[in-house]
Amino acid sequence: MKKALVFFALMLPVFLWAQTQVSGIVTDASDAPLPGVSVSVKGTRTGTTTGADGRYSISVPANATLVFSIVGYTNQEVSVASGQFNVQLKEAEANDLREVVITGYTVQNKRTYTGSTAKVAGAEVNLQPIASLEQLLQGKAPGLLIQSQSGQPGSASSVTIRGKGSVLGGTQPLYIVDGIQVTANDFSSINPTDIETYNVLKDAVSTSQYGSRGANGVIVVTTKRGRNAKTVINYDYQYGVQQMPESKLKLMNSREKLDYELNYDRPDGVNPFGWTQAEADSLANVNPDWQDLVFRKSVTQQHVLSATGGNDKTRFFLSGSIFDQQGLVRTTGLKRYTGRMNLDHTAGNLKIGLSTTLGYSKRSGTPENDNVVNTPLNAYRWILPYFTPYAADGSLQLADPGGNYSPLPDLLRNYNTRRQIKGVGAISLDYKIAAVKGLSVRTQWGIDFTDTQNDIYTDRNTQSNTVVPGRNGAFQFATARTFRFTGTSSVNYERKSGDHTFGAGLFHEIVNRRATSAGYTGFGLVGPFKNAAGITPGTPTNSFIPTVNGNQVNDAILSYFFIGNYDYKNKYFVNVTGRRDGSSRLAEGKKFVNYGGIGLGWALTSEEFMANQNIFDNIKVKASYGSAGNADIGGAYEAIEQFSSVTYNGIGGLAISNLRKDQLSWETRTTLNAGVDFTLLKNALTIGFEIYSSETKGLYLNRQLSSTNGVSSILTNMGRLRNAGIELSAAYTVFQNKDWNVNVNGNWTTNRSKVLELDGNNEIIDGISINRVGERANSIYLVRYAGVDPDNGDALYYQADGKTITNQYDPNDAVIVGSFDPKGFGGFGADVAYKGISLSAQFVYTYGYKIYNQARVDIENPQYYTSNLHRALLREWQQPGDITDIPSSFNDFFENTTRFVEKGDYIRLRNVMLSYTLPKTVLGRWKISNLRVFAQGQNLVTWTKFLGYDPEVSSGVLTGAVYPALKAVTIGASIGL
Amino acid sequence: MKKTILYTALFIAAGALFTSCKKSVELDPTHTIGGDELTSVDDHDRIMTGAYAAMRNNALYAGVNGGSVWLSGPDIAADNFYGGSQNLGNLNTLFRWNYTADNTVTEAAWQGAYQVIRQTNLVTRGIDKYRATDATKVNRIEGQARALRAFMHFELLRWWANDYDRNATSLGIPYVEVFDIEQMPARGTVKQTYDKIEADLKAAKTMLSNTDRSIQSTSAVTATNRAYIDSLVVNAMLARVYIYANQLDSAIKYSTLAINARPLATAAQFPQIWEDATSAELIWSFKMFAGNAALGREIYDVSADRASWLPVTALTSLYSGSDVRGPAYFRVRTGRTVLGKYWAKSTAAGNPDGVVDIKLFRTAEMYLIRAEAYARKGGLDVPALADLNALRAIRGAAVGAETGTALQTAIQTERRKELVAEGHRFFDIKRTARVINRTQNCATFCTLASTNRAWAFPIPQSEILANDNIDQNPGY
Repeated sequence: MKKALVFFALMLPVFLWAQTQVSGIVTDASDAPLPGVSVSVKGTRTGTTTGADGRYSISVPANATLVFSIVGYTNQEVSVASGQFNVQLKEAEANDLREVVITGYTVQNKRTYTGSTAKVAGAEVNLQPIASLEQLLQGKAPGLLIQSQSGQPGSASSVTIRGKGSVLGGTQPLYIVDGIQVTANDFSSINPTDIETYNVLKDAVSTSQYGSRGANGVIVVTTKRGRNAKTVINYDYQYGVQQMPESKLKLMNSREKLDYELNYDRPDGVNPFGWTQAEADSLANVNPDWQDLVFRKSVTQQHVLSATGGNDKTRFFLSGSIFDQQGLVRTTGLKRYTGRMNLDHTAGNLKIGLSTTLGYSKRSGTPENDNVVNTPLNAYRWILPYFTPYAADGSLQLADPGGNYSPLPDLLRNYNTRRQIKGVGAISLDYKIAAVKGLSVRTQWGIDFTDTQNDIYTDRNTQSNTVVPGRNGAFQFATARTFRFTGTSSVNYERKSGDHTFGAGLFHEIVNRRATSAGYTGFGLVGPFKNAAGITPGTPTNSFIPTVNGNQVNDAILSYFFIGNYDYKNKYFVNVTGRRDGSSRLAEGKKFVNYGGIGLGWALTSEEFMANQNIFDNIKVKASYGSAGNADIGGAYEAIEQFSSVTYNGIGGLAISNLRKDQLSWETRTTLNAGVDFTLLKNALTIGFEIYSSETKGLYLNRQLSSTNGVSSILTNMGRLRNAGIELSAAYTVFQNKDWNVNVNGNWTTNRSKVLELDGNNEIIDGISINRVGERANSIYLVRYAGVDPDNGDALYYQADGKTITNQYDPNDAVIVGSFDPKGFGGFGADVAYKGISLSAQFVYTYGYKIYNQARVDIENPQYYTSNLHRALLREWQQPGDITDIPSSFNDFFENTTRFVEKGDYIRLRNVMLSYTLPKTVLGRWKISNLRVFAQGQNLVTWTKFLGYDPEVSSGVLTGAVYPALKAVTIGASIGL
Repeated sequence: MKKTILYTALFIAAGALFTSCKKSVELDPTHTIGGDELTSVDDHDRIMTGAYAAMRNNALYAGVNGGSVWLSGPDIAADNFYGGSQNLGNLNTLFRWNYTADNTVTEAAWQGAYQVIRQTNLVTRGIDKYRATDATKVNRIEGQARALRAFMHFELLRWWANDYDRNATSLGIPYVEVFDIEQMPARGTVKQTYDKIEADLKAAKTMLSNTDRSIQSTSAVTATNRAYIDSLVVNAMLARVYIYANQLDSAIKYSTLAINARPLATAAQFPQIWEDATSAELIWSFKMFAGNAALGREIYDVSADRASWLPVTALTSLYSGSDVRGPAYFRVRTGRTVLGKYWAKSTAAGNPDGVVDIKLFRTAEMYLIRAEAYARKGGLDVPALADLNALRAIRGAAVGAETGTALQTAIQTERRKELVAEGHRFFDIKRTARVINRTQNCATFCTLASTNRAWAFPIPQSEILANDNIDQNPGY
């Protein structure tokens, strides 16, 4: 009661001033009225909101200042004295310090938040013709490295936040969609245009909120929600054409290949197929375009229809979409249909929220990223260039004289179709407990449900059929269902008292995943059916006995945690997190692990000594420290010794399939983060600078065992790894007036990893990769190639000392020659807008990493002389005195050398877009509220020296069967009613 | 106020619903079984089945690409085949004898064999506690495990040891008898390896002579198919081990036991052996079914008609027109002579796929072992020639009248003819002449001198790195 009195006393002066009645209209950037905007008198509680027509009316003191605010727009202040009562609000910009940070559990003002996060608005990226949403973020946020190794529609990308903190464990971030954990790499059934924002959580005070799942960073996705506004219906359409990028890895043409076969001496003798000169001359002119037979120009189309609106009680967002992308490889493609309904309802102190989406996708795929001979994406490169795809009678030929398979029978006659239904839904209840001001309770329960069905048909007239039991075709059906529920309940308290503002939440969470799979493969598809109906029942003698399988795993995480924040005078800020996670996957007694973080922030510009400068609009210094875990390793029952079912002679038995690991725990990544955010030059320039150092303890590594124990290694928490780096981002409005708006932006991240400890070992070698104390993680470990001896054509190698050159290959001479992980990466771009016309370009770049090009090994090994080869082999050493880089074919071929290591550095014009928004004057006549048309190019230019289609190789090894990244041009329109 | 209480209660209930105790994070597998749950002697029997299944490893006998080090490898590394124009380069390293410590083919074979051994050691882990109540059943299970363990170690010895003499003091191979992943066993000597092999085989023989039931008759279908290791198989194993070890009397003794139990197949039966249409002459025939790997696929892939390796004329010309082995072992397809030994089961003959049982031990080899043992003992050329001619006669080849060195050479030639692509040729040369002389399409890889390091595989680099007690073979 006393407080109320004080309050009235404070309010008193207000009434002493003369009151003026003012009225006006609030509109958005496109002059559309904005309903629901809060209009308040600065420093008082007086206020109103705009009506459906955007109009307001308020009685205010003559010297007052009005503040206009609504979520999603930048606040605007207008002094009553100015007489400007019609206000246009700008949409909040990505780099606006005043925007909010959404961590999934809390929503905080970015100004007061001390953690390191990045935010990408869905609208910035969602027009790109890409099916999987994680790929859209490439180059958009510092610290976020996205590499897409494949252009296959719907394929997933590799996403890494601030360097790989794990060697064997997963390095993908945790994905949270509307508060629900969603399986990473599983986004081809979700519509990217439904996304409102992507929040990337990078430092420990942010990621420790997610405990044992947070170490790789978190991407918190929120979807669009309804507004208290007139219903708007929007329709978007897009049409695009994709084509092949150019491969720098050139093969021999027919004449060259025949020349190589006939005239290049080799251990096995020349002319393996015994061509006569006449035959060779004739074949030299046969040059079927194998690439053109496998690839095509393909088309993408997309339709999105959405409706949004609501009133002060109930708001809704509805959308439906169709996405249809043909693949560059014939017969491949993705079709997707999605629907979404998001609802919010307020009933007094109770708020109910509902988010649901259901997506269906159908993907027709082809195998990729392997070096199997019958994979069409290998076969078209390995087949003899003078071999024709069709025989004289018009039928498809299966294999050339060298036994190389034609890609066409497998590609055209087989199919591999994946149908997926994905549902993500959550319902939340918030209740404000009226008895205690600031106290509320909340519970949210949601599911991530994926049902995938794979139909794989192998025709009996293909090469794949040669390994099929009974060799008369096969039909495989596989179904996999993942059901994960996340239930989060919390008690939250918020309080502002004088200069102190604080908030605290106590949370309880359970995440439970059940994954079930089953399938069968049937044989003997000799009839007209190319599906399950064609399977011939098995008998003891016909080899057509079907195989069946089924599996299920179940795991769970149980957590208790605390999230708190404190703010003094809107100048000093503190965030605190503590979490205790229990996992079903760890051994008894080791199940529970604790995590926590603290962050501190200081708004310099709020200090008095900064009051008189007018360069900086805002400076915030911040630092945080804390820990998060990486539970993404091994199976659901990794800690216990397991035996799996096997058979011999038709009798079931048991074989050991997993070793006991009593001491297994999660990797813990502890991160120290410090940064400064600047806004200056009247908000024209925004700069973010952060520096971080994170250390992974209990690093998972395969501790090497003597193979005489029947196992060559065991997963062990045994190492320490550091990732340290710098992130820089800047956005600058170069020029802005009524007609013009010119902006540039850029970001750069450098990350350096270092192996600190390997439990007493100096190094762990896994094939061609090594982790050695003191060196970068995932270093490449190979014998250095020193060229060719002109005298005898021998390949030369450096010995371990780096000086002595020898022609004896010895694996003990292997040394570290670089790392698979990039040293730096980022993006930059610019956009220019004049009235309704806008032109933007975005570039991405990555540098400081190496790729082992296995695809090149497979066409440079002279033992494969009966297949097509790299054109470079025409430079093969022939006689003493030849100076060349390709050794004699008589010399033993060794592939584990630096001869096949290449730099991956590249810069790519990721997206360029030209758009035109029609002026209001025209639209008014057509009775539509918004119309925009655009044309864009995706991946139009890539600058790289890498010998292949694409240097975006996340694993460091380009195995083969590359599905090139698309290069697309699309046009589209967006219309709002 | 009522509403407040109601909602508050509701929220607390929602939070506590599934989560009141730690039970929610105690979840056990349903589709695998924990090692702690294996608590009956029958579980050990199931693990023994798993040990047999582990032999179906590509690296060992039935390869897909670049494996099959004990079935196809010894013929490619010797003088029976040359590379054809369809060769994908798989196993070229064996033909060219240029394997190094980081070679993946030899590494996979090393690891594959020890995986089988691990599984046998899991069979014997803790089985003793059932001996008091189930002695004969334990005999049946443990006997198979001990014999298989010995056999796998012997397979390793064949590739990785330089010498085969019973008392050789050169490097043997680590003999692993318990499951303990922290072990770093040393190689010991060849003699020590033989000691363990012999001990296991003898123990197995004793156990398998006193079992609760017949080992082969686990079901009606498999009653006669010789799929499992019984005491007869152990006799055959002993015979092979002893001829390598130059223990001639013992070789004669155990080969005789095998010969007396399983007579040679008739000329009519002989082709049926390779189509799995008869069990005649088979001592241990490892079962393969549709869906398992094809045999000899890295030499000749029947289903794809890919001849990576072609038989040399010096081999194919050894078979006379009346020799039943000629047509059973080689066929002419698409204009060239290819390995036809592993064509298909008779049921799949119309659409051959190469999936047939692995004939690990046959009576013919026992005849040849006994003949060789007699001949090498000296003064026993008559029974040696009798065994050799018995085999020749039943196969339709001309009988001879060799004596002395000529007889010994004739026995080796007969081994080459009889056992082609069954995993013997390289080792037979290694333990007799110890020099390989190829004469056809061998380019720069025609001669392997007796001093070459390639007679023994290198210990894999991964083993060298992980095992402080292991020694590399000389020359690597």
